[in-house]
Amino acid sequence: MQGQGRVMRLGLGAKFTLTVLTILACTMAANALYSLYTSTRFHEKQLVERGRALGRLISLVSPEAILSFDFLLLNEYTRQVSAQPDVVYGVILSPDGAPLSAYIDRGDPLVRERTQETASDDVLWLLRKLDGDPVLIRLEFPIVHNDAHLGRFLVGISKTTLNNEFRRQLEVQLMALTALVLFLSMAIFLAFRHSVLFPIKALISASRDVGRGQHAMVEVKTEDELGQLAIAFNAMAEEVRQEQAKLHRQANFDTLTGLPNRLMALDRINHAISRASRSSEKFALFFIDLDNFKSVNDSLGHAVGDELLVATGARVQAILRDADTVARLGGDEFLVLVPDVVNELQAEEIAERLVRAISQPHTLSGRKVVARCSVGIVLFPENGNTVASLMANADNAMYQAKATGQGSAIFFTEDMNTRLRERMQMEQDLNQALELGQFELYFQPIFDTASGRHRGAEVLLRWQHPERGSISPAVFITLAEATGQIVGIGDWVLEQTCRYWAQWHRAGLGPEFLAINISRVQFRKRFSRRLSELIAIYEVPPSALELEITESVLLDDHNHVAEELNSLRAIGVTLSLDDFGTGYSSLSYLKRFRFDVLKIDRSFVAGLPTNGEDVSLVNAILAMAKGLGLAVVAEGVEHREQLDFLTEQGCALAQGFFLARPMDRQAYAAFLENIPVGEGVVQLPRNRNKQRIVRAG
Amino acid sequence: MLKRLRSLLSFPSPSRGLAGLAVALALVAGAAHGSEKGLVLGVFPRLHASETTTRYTPMAEHLSERLGIKVTLVVSRDFDAFWQGVEEQRFDIVLYNQLHYIRSSRTYQVVAHNKEFGKSTLAGALYVRKDSNITSLAQLRGRTVLFGGGEDAMIGYIAPMYLLLKAGLTRNDITARFAVNPLNSVIGVARKLADAAGSGDAVVEQPALRKAINTDELVVLAVTEQLLHLPWAVRRNMPSKLRETIQNALVDLENSESGRRVLKSAVLSGIGRAEDKDYNPHRIMVRAVAGSAALP
Repeated sequence: MQGQGRVMRLGLGAKFTLTVLTILACTMAANALYSLYTSTRFHEKQLVERGRALGRLISLVSPEAILSFDFLLLNEYTRQVSAQPDVVYGVILSPDGAPLSAYIDRGDPLVRERTQETASDDVLWLLRKLDGDPVLIRLEFPIVHNDAHLGRFLVGISKTTLNNEFRRQLEVQLMALTALVLFLSMAIFLAFRHSVLFPIKALISASRDVGRGQHAMVEVKTEDELGQLAIAFNAMAEEVRQEQAKLHRQANFDTLTGLPNRLMALDRINHAISRASRSSEKFALFFIDLDNFKSVNDSLGHAVGDELLVATGARVQAILRDADTVARLGGDEFLVLVPDVVNELQAEEIAERLVRAISQPHTLSGRKVVARCSVGIVLFPENGNTVASLMANADNAMYQAKATGQGSAIFFTEDMNTRLRERMQMEQDLNQALELGQFELYFQPIFDTASGRHRGAEVLLRWQHPERGSISPAVFITLAEATGQIVGIGDWVLEQTCRYWAQWHRAGLGPEFLAINISRVQFRKRFSRRLSELIAIYEVPPSALELEITESVLLDDHNHVAEELNSLRAIGVTLSLDDFGTGYSSLSYLKRFRFDVLKIDRSFVAGLPTNGEDVSLVNAILAMAKGLGLAVVAEGVEHREQLDFLTEQGCALAQGFFLARPMDRQAYAAFLENIPVGEGVVQLPRNRNKQRIVRAG
Repeated sequence: MLKRLRSLLSFPSPSRGLAGLAVALALVAGAAHGSEKGLVLGVFPRLHASETTTRYTPMAEHLSERLGIKVTLVVSRDFDAFWQGVEEQRFDIVLYNQLHYIRSSRTYQVVAHNKEFGKSTLAGALYVRKDSNITSLAQLRGRTVLFGGGEDAMIGYIAPMYLLLKAGLTRNDITARFAVNPLNSVIGVARKLADAAGSGDAVVEQPALRKAINTDELVVLAVTEQLLHLPWAVRRNMPSKLRETIQNALVDLENSESGRRVLKSAVLSGIGRAEDKDYNPHRIMVRAVAGSAALP
């Protein structure tokens, strides 16, 4: 009843009892009134009949006394008549109306009222005064003897006593009725409470229990409606119980593997903390993430991926005790809770068993699948004393394990936390970096290897942190991609690039193209639409923009990627596949997605021209590009021999410290200004200091 | 009739009921001649039988005790029955009116008389209303005179009629009506049912009358000489000693506490001695009104 505090709350019993009480009271009161009324009418008739009996008797006996002038006898008659209860007067009148005998009860209230004003003894005056009083019944009887009219006998009967008796009876009956109604109401209420309220309260109590998630049944005592209600309630409660169990299972267990889910896992950890805290014991958490599970999904299909998850869960469960918990946290993440772990050594052994078990080959849908995993290990209480801290640290350790290589397990250390904190701080700083103008674009020129002519530049991004100085894109780009900040940053890079190109173009300095690195995250956000807007705003010819896309972009939804690439191609921009050779290097990508340019990663260029493998790889790439009609840009050209080799092998474009270091906007503008018009050939530096280079994207 | 009325009205009176029973028994007994085992006391029915019984039962009991002989009260239902009892001498002791005595004086001998309202005598009187403008007996000519009692009533009829006769009016000069007793005749005049009432001179002093009417509205038109009150007589053949004993018992009533209670019950002031000559004035009036034939 919150919010209805002013509303009087009446229970069902009170309402029912009030209703019954009202009905009983009205019915019985009406009955009593009717009975009293009829009784009064009856007694009034009796009174009249008594008066008539008196009158007839007096009129019968009076003639003798009248004829014999026996007034004393007449007086005695009237006196006796008037002595009767309720008789106010008895008067015998002569034929001409003179009173022969009169007896009036002077003590009667009716008479007293009328004689208070005057002490008149005039009987006729008093009769006239009394005549018409509703309380008085006036009866008149002729006195006849042998057809001779001897006079009249008048008798006045008061209904005062009758009325008083009526009132008294009414009071008595009302009191009796009140007592009876209260008694009946109480009896009915008790019966109602026993037969209705108690079962209802039992139902309410059971309903509350059910509402609290407790399984409650009510006893079926009768076959009436309440009994039917109880049966229906029990059926409902059973359904609720089953539904709750189902929901509980759905809420706490993974539907795919049947293992406890994250919620249950957290609850189990919580219990483990409580238990271990009381008994000063340790327990271990193993945060397991399957490596490259996405590639299994992509290559073998989701059904096989699901089979792998189920098989992995079963395999992990098989090597653990009943007291241990294996939970699927989501995706390809599992958690293992092992109580009563004595030390790190024991935990390490368990981790090894886990890695070993998971790494055993699976045969799924007729195919042999080998899964590897990364495991983060935390111990309670050394690595955290709350669920959140333990989970976070285990997760952190797992990421560290994943970073070290597939199939490894790593204990959580405080260093990890330090790195995590740094990462979080960097994340916060990254949020403000754009607003504070801490980003800056650098441009590394790209040259035609054959002519040495400047063709364009790769746009690189630098973050000048006010405290930590220049931060490597390798650090913050990954973070920005993970947090989604890369979208805003990438947009800024794209817009600035367009703006600069437009400025330089208006100044007659325009490079042939500017190559911009595009993140896979950025690529997912309808990148082509935004690019079209910027091209329109800054009036940049699409061919002046080259978009460098890494192979990781192509791992995403192929349909979306193909659609987006087609849109970009329709816009007219140049598409470049960046870092070719370092990733999956799936040739199918080159076939499925059309690119204009391949960029040979610096790692392959570094060994040129002496490293045979690098030479072979570069030659193969160049041959393939030639076959596919793709232009090739070599990155990381740092000395003459590399440039010469690439030139000889037909690599058309190159960039690197040997050719030109990345430079800021002003320096690049100056560089452009120094290029002779029409030649574009620059004097290549011979001796350069090393700089940190950051690459956008 | 009153008893019947009372019965109908559901107002039984235990004492009156017993008295009525005694009367009834006496009536049934037929007032047998004075039993050798006791004496019979007869009282004339000037009052209702029950009232007579109530009043005179203590008298009978007192006499029984005083005489040592059982005295039984006999109340007659009416004057005819009573007179028949007198003529048949069924009463040993009898209380009746003066005319009764005069007529029965050959067989009964007066021994005492009543004293009522402190007086041994009373007189016949004629009453009229003050507002009637009647101031002389002669004015009653042609008027209605309501006499108290029948033509046997000494004070209610004989004496008032004697006054009228003396005033020169005869029975034919008036319209004679008769009330049951002198009280009612006066009430009848007060109720304007007659012009004059024949009654006793002391009747207006009686509480019953004062209760029934306003006596101040009446005036005495004429009154006779004082006449000795109602006589107590015994059978003449009663032994003289018993007669004297009865006489003494009656006269002595007012001298003792128990006797005064008996007198009070009978609504009497006392009982005085009387002898036959005391009723000669009454004989004169009877002779004048009823004629000599009315006398023994």
